[in-house]
Amino acid sequence: MSAPTPTGTTAVDADVYTAVATFLAREARLLDEGREEEWFELLADDLLYTIPIRQAAEPRTAEINRSAFRLRDNKMNVRTRLNRLATGHAYSEVPPSRTMRLVGSVEVSPGPGPDLVDVSSALLVYRQRGIDPHFDLIPCRRNDRLRWTGEGLRLVSREVILTETSLLTPNLGVLL
Amino acid sequence: MNETTAPAWPRSDLDDILARTETGLADDLLPVEIFNDSAVFQAEVERIFGRSWVFVAHESEIPNPGDFVQRRIGLDPVIVTRDGEGGINVLSNYCRHRGTQVCQTDQGNSRFFKCNYHGWTYANTGELVGTPFLRRAYGEPLDGKEWGLLRAPRVDSRHGFVFASLSADVEPLGDYLGGAGWMLDALVGLHPDGMRVAGPPDRYQVKANWKTAAENFAGDIYHVPNLHGSMQEIGIAGGLDAGGEFGRPYEFGNGHAFMGIAWTTAVHPGFEFWGYPPEIKDHFDLSGLDEMQVHVVTHDGPIVGTIFPNLSFYRGIAMDGSGLSSVITSFRQWQPVGPGELEVWSWQFVWTFQDEQSALQDAVIGQMQFGSAGVAEQDDTVAWEGAPRAAASPWARRERMMFHFQQGNKSEVDQSPDLTWKGPGIRRLTGFGEHNQLHFYRHWLRVMQARDHSAEGDR
Repeated sequence: MSAPTPTGTTAVDADVYTAVATFLAREARLLDEGREEEWFELLADDLLYTIPIRQAAEPRTAEINRSAFRLRDNKMNVRTRLNRLATGHAYSEVPPSRTMRLVGSVEVSPGPGPDLVDVSSALLVYRQRGIDPHFDLIPCRRNDRLRWTGEGLRLVSREVILTETSLLTPNLGVLL
Repeated sequence: MNETTAPAWPRSDLDDILARTETGLADDLLPVEIFNDSAVFQAEVERIFGRSWVFVAHESEIPNPGDFVQRRIGLDPVIVTRDGEGGINVLSNYCRHRGTQVCQTDQGNSRFFKCNYHGWTYANTGELVGTPFLRRAYGEPLDGKEWGLLRAPRVDSRHGFVFASLSADVEPLGDYLGGAGWMLDALVGLHPDGMRVAGPPDRYQVKANWKTAAENFAGDIYHVPNLHGSMQEIGIAGGLDAGGEFGRPYEFGNGHAFMGIAWTTAVHPGFEFWGYPPEIKDHFDLSGLDEMQVHVVTHDGPIVGTIFPNLSFYRGIAMDGSGLSSVITSFRQWQPVGPGELEVWSWQFVWTFQDEQSALQDAVIGQMQFGSAGVAEQDDTVAWEGAPRAAASPWARRERMMFHFQQGNKSEVDQSPDLTWKGPGIRRLTGFGEHNQLHFYRHWLRVMQARDHSAEGDR
């Protein structure tokens, strides 16, 4: 893979880009197909998964408050969420929402270490819950850091920047 | 979200529906229509949100001169500002010239609000201080007060919780809160420096009626073992079945109702102060509390409560996936959006004395339970969406379907008021019965039926 450059914007090799894009696509498909346990295998043990709170503010840099979160999970908290879904009594997701995660605008850049890559992507989740007559859309951008391991790429950190300040879906019972 | 499938909003004759509510409540029943009806909703916005004290902000959100947050009172957007003298102003966010919203952000710091349309400029006290091309356009200055932003005529705060009323004709805040103010003092007064918000509110929209959320937090302990049982199954909560037995409900008048838990009886005698860990509890200074408040916070602290109309809180011990636990405090406001739609605004609160790391832990664990991604609250949102659908159902309306609030009526459990209680309001010694919910709705009906609606334009 490419070494970091002074500007930090140099694209990585095509094979690295392909591996990362494939990782994001696979992740999205596993979650859309209800294969959370397989998705969980893609998480690094030192995972930090955050969704900071966003507000309408000026200047634009003040919109995102990185000290206040809708969600700030380590891997064990993600485990807890999956365990709860698996009980069959996590009623916001009984039956599970039918989802379609569309991942795009993938940009890959070298991470702060030789085994790390940083990824920016856009995600649009179409969600139809239970017997809802309507659908919800959850738009966001994600700033991810992935690590190369002997078993392939693993997700080290994910910051989800929601496009909305006030969510139009009634809960974040689905993973972003 | 897509227009073609938006929920139907039927419209009833208001007097008829209120009369049916009165008849129903006499028998502990409620007509389904009140949970999704545009006539009811319009009257709520005018008679309740337009004429009651409504929470707008916590002072820790606007600590410095110039700080402001944009909030809502019913459907009205208001700017809550801290002016140069330290005063708090609650201002309409509509320009007096053509109605453009002079504040386009959720929060910030500014001494002025300049309308983007023609440039009329208002001080953060609401006064009009600038009109472009003054001499040529107007000849002489417009009266800054007469043409200032509308100001909520009554603004007051209690322990940092700022309330405002859009009507001048309300009793003083302290009288309005009554026993609920006494209990709020106890909740956040365990240390003289009180509590602060951990950050801005987590906001999300639910296709539910605001009353359903307010009712739930007034003391619906009955739903906990069923709806939230998954949390116990995976080991991050316990004793969910015990709420009925150990519930200690309070009715404070004016529709305010809280639910205590007899923690030191239910868990163990050392489980004082909601189970706060020593590193927090050791800072407590109860010198500002009276004897009954000290008793309550030590043994029977409330887990939920609702201050009428739409401010609620949760306080309880919570655990994350790593086994870390915190006693979390979340205040939440149920913003009415439409007859069957509400927006949840959820704040995590932390003690002002907590260091950054300790505060972050409590806020994050709080969000893991209560908030848009909260493993408890996620499930509430879905359950609450049923009532507006039932209320819009042609069949349910034709059958004059009623909701059942008669839980305690034939129960063998003694639900009579605790005669030994020396604090304000009515206290009972069981969580069974739906007394708090009925208290909320009976007050709702009183306000809705009050005859003095002279401020309403359309009646």
